[in-house]
Amino acid sequence: MALSAAKPLIRRHTEIGIFLIGAILIVIFASTSDGRWANLYNIGTIMQVTATLGLMSLGVAIVIGTGEIDISVGSTFGMGALAHLWLAARVDPVFAALVAIVVGAAIGYLNGWLITRTKTPSLIITLGTLMIFRGIAIALTDGFSFSIPYAARNGWTYSLLGGGDFLGFNTALFWLIATFAVLIVVLKAMPFGNRLLAVGGSADSAHSRGVRVERIKLSAFVICGMLAAFAGALEAGKLGFADGSMGRLMELQAIASCVLGGCLLAGGRISLIGALMGAFVLSSIQSYLVVTGVQPQWFILILGLIVVGAAYGDKSLRNWAIRK
Amino acid sequence: MTQNPLIQVKNLDLYFGAFHALKNVSVDFNAGELIGLVGDNGAGKTTLIRVLCGIHAPTKGDVFFDGKKVEKFHPKLAIDQGIETIQQSVGLCDNLSIARNFYLGREPVKRILGIPFLDFAKMREKSSRVIRQFGLRENVSADDEVERLSGGERQSVKIGRAVEFKNRVVIMDEPTNHLSVREREHVNELAVQLKEQGLLVIYITHDIFQVHKLADRIVIMENGEKVADASTDSMSAEALEDVIRQGGRVVEKEAV
Repeated sequence: MALSAAKPLIRRHTEIGIFLIGAILIVIFASTSDGRWANLYNIGTIMQVTATLGLMSLGVAIVIGTGEIDISVGSTFGMGALAHLWLAARVDPVFAALVAIVVGAAIGYLNGWLITRTKTPSLIITLGTLMIFRGIAIALTDGFSFSIPYAARNGWTYSLLGGGDFLGFNTALFWLIATFAVLIVVLKAMPFGNRLLAVGGSADSAHSRGVRVERIKLSAFVICGMLAAFAGALEAGKLGFADGSMGRLMELQAIASCVLGGCLLAGGRISLIGALMGAFVLSSIQSYLVVTGVQPQWFILILGLIVVGAAYGDKSLRNWAIRK
Repeated sequence: MTQNPLIQVKNLDLYFGAFHALKNVSVDFNAGELIGLVGDNGAGKTTLIRVLCGIHAPTKGDVFFDGKKVEKFHPKLAIDQGIETIQQSVGLCDNLSIARNFYLGREPVKRILGIPFLDFAKMREKSSRVIRQFGLRENVSADDEVERLSGGERQSVKIGRAVEFKNRVVIMDEPTNHLSVREREHVNELAVQLKEQGLLVIYITHDIFQVHKLADRIVIMENGEKVADASTDSMSAEALEDVIRQGGRVVEKEAV
């Protein structure tokens, strides 16, 4: 059968499943929403959501590559958003975004440091920091939201950092593309990437070859924190306001994006393009529910069902591809 | 062999939690020597060499390399000193290609604007040559993931890598596991060649008869202790086998 020619391709590329799912969903969404989903404006919105979720997913994918997990990214996103917006009203947004990234790096460093020092599972540590930084974010804002004055939104640097559009798309999308390009090169064509995947494949083997396993893991958490906080900064720039709950539950979407995109939670095998496609699919579903008037409280439920269904579909596809 | 030992282990103790894995072990290893490290499972052979290659740090006691006391234990430092190890259960990452495994931790780079990029051409070329030399299947390429390889092929990649990067010391932990008869002979010949080139070769095995033919000296371990240390000229393989069978002790003095 002609279909079986695709088997080796599917075996080699774990991200094919999410692309198929994406294609199927696009057809369904476009044909059942009466043009409300598949129009330029809505696609632009989906792309903006994909951009911030995608940046977060790329970071999570890097951490998953080392065989660890970071579920604190939702709170890191929130901290990045607060830092950026609070500062952007006072100093140049470029400086504000840099500070947000530094905040994210610090949270990532704390995660990585605690995990490598105490040898505690990253799931536990980052569950803790997820709550800690959410608590700090809510305490800092006193439970209220704050917005940036319109006068401060006019500069081109503010637009550049999520606050405006370029070629019809929010600038966050271009940051995502640039980040993706850099990370692909780092992962595939630099010694750091080779060691990172080695650590996820077998930390003991990597260690025996002289790789500084803990340093690699720490770096992965720092990168992840930076990307999550930067995504938060871009989101805050887009919205023009921020509150202590920004990014809540986003960590789950980011992890789902990675897993659906073909990243193996055990580590060593990740697909950055798959993680991005995962983020796009999740954003598309969210948007579809909005444009078709489904109550937002159903979103998580339906998302969960689709994640389970997609994971099952992907597994079936993989089993089929493995069979001779 | 009158110069200082290349590696000197002095009164080494190692605990894993409450487990006393190495008990007051002292051994000298000389350059240009092929040493057979023999003992039953759990005797502490692998633990001892894992100290030498930096994976474990000793709880007590000292290791001297080239007369200098080793202060910090990490595989990176051992490799930088010129110690190549063929580990038994670790050493290859299944998810990476042969070429990437080959150079893991010491990747050759080409710098563009100061940024280090992997030198794929070099990685492929050298690792391809080695895997051909070690007789991997024709259709295996340096870009294939290690996961695809058979047990013997994996072992060949590890051996090839150690020989390629040989420097001053080559440690082989059960190197002939998973290998065919012909491949075994090849590995044993390599061990002797390396020694003749002036390297220190530490050869770990269960098989006293096999290693007795190759080695200059045999060190026997039992329950984390060294129980015999004798030149192969002074003791026959049969006599050494008796030492292992009786758990050492009895002949310890006369062995030295």
